[in-house]
Amino acid sequence: MAYSDKVLDHYSNPRNVGSLDKSSPEVGTGLVGAPECGDVMKLQIKVNPQTNIIEDAKFKTFGCGSAIASSSLATEWVKGKTVDEALQIKNTEIVKELSLPPVKIHCSVLAEDAIRAAIQDWKKKQETGKPVAAAVAVQ
Amino acid sequence: MATDISNPVATSSCWSCGEMRAAHFCHACGRVQPPLPVDYFAFFSLPKKLNLDTELLERGFYELSRKLHPDLYARSDQQEQEWSLQQSSLLNDAYRTLKDPIKRTEYMLRLEGVELEEQSKTATEKARATGQIKKQVVPPDLLEEVFDLNMQLEELRAQKKLGEDDPALVEEIGRQKLELEEKHAALVEQLQTCWKAWDRAVDSGNDSDRRSVRDKMIDLLNRRNYIRNLVRDVNQVLES
Repeated sequence: MAYSDKVLDHYSNPRNVGSLDKSSPEVGTGLVGAPECGDVMKLQIKVNPQTNIIEDAKFKTFGCGSAIASSSLATEWVKGKTVDEALQIKNTEIVKELSLPPVKIHCSVLAEDAIRAAIQDWKKKQETGKPVAAAVAVQ
Repeated sequence: MATDISNPVATSSCWSCGEMRAAHFCHACGRVQPPLPVDYFAFFSLPKKLNLDTELLERGFYELSRKLHPDLYARSDQQEQEWSLQQSSLLNDAYRTLKDPIKRTEYMLRLEGVELEEQSKTATEKARATGQIKKQVVPPDLLEEVFDLNMQLEELRAQKKLGEDDPALVEEIGRQKLELEEKHAALVEQLQTCWKAWDRAVDSGNDSDRRSVRDKMIDLLNRRNYIRNLVRDVNQVLES
């Protein structure tokens, strides 16, 4: 099956490949996988604690062209959005943007999962981060 | 009449002599019959079990393939030729599926209404609707492992391209591959235990056992999928 031009574009020039410091309190990491195809996708966001705006996003995906394109697009889309706005991104929007065929819908699902998982990880750090910061200050 | 018999559900009597028909041939006149909409177990008249008598399956397969082979119907009318072709292709699908224990398990789960390909999407939709974090169908520790090994494989691929592969990395990846193969064997063993438990739960009509074995099998199959793909990728890189 032929990939759409947009998939090919993201696949050959993926945006935002790389990683952010996993241990930073401003960084949320989502690692997700689809057993259907054995793909794994890691997506990381760096959030400004004052504004809740996602200032940077990186990804690394091992999988097919559609999975790479979906995660590449996801990093583009979350950048500049607030955390709550990013949570509104739906896999169907990714399907539409990339013209993914039905057999590749799970790739877009994976990208949505990765965004949510990264945000969840970041939120968790915000809840637990404060007492830890206080403890450090006491030391 | 022709329209009636072309629908296999419409009749359980032989299209030719009107006697009660069997799944593939009429008991009375021996003519080939249109396929019945039955599951693969019923196609072979085998009990619907995961612990299957594979010898019986094999015997049934050879017997039926001899009798159903389209060549035997070369001089029959077109409708019979078509039915023998349909029956033969059903026979091959059914045999291939039931012979392989993994495929058999996946097939049984499908009969139970479990679409392995749909789990991830369903879970995502549920998470979105409830605002809860999605339950990943693959455990996080396995995902970490898959991700890290993929990073190493990527490095090795790049090194090989330059013709300077690092022996320490090759050794490390080889070691992990052995571990994965052990894990794979352990998963298959656990699956075998599940087959027995499944057949028992079905026989005894214990629905809660049945559900818990079903979920266990889904989990094992998902893990197995990852590990199998990963071993395949490792082999590709090591042999390149």
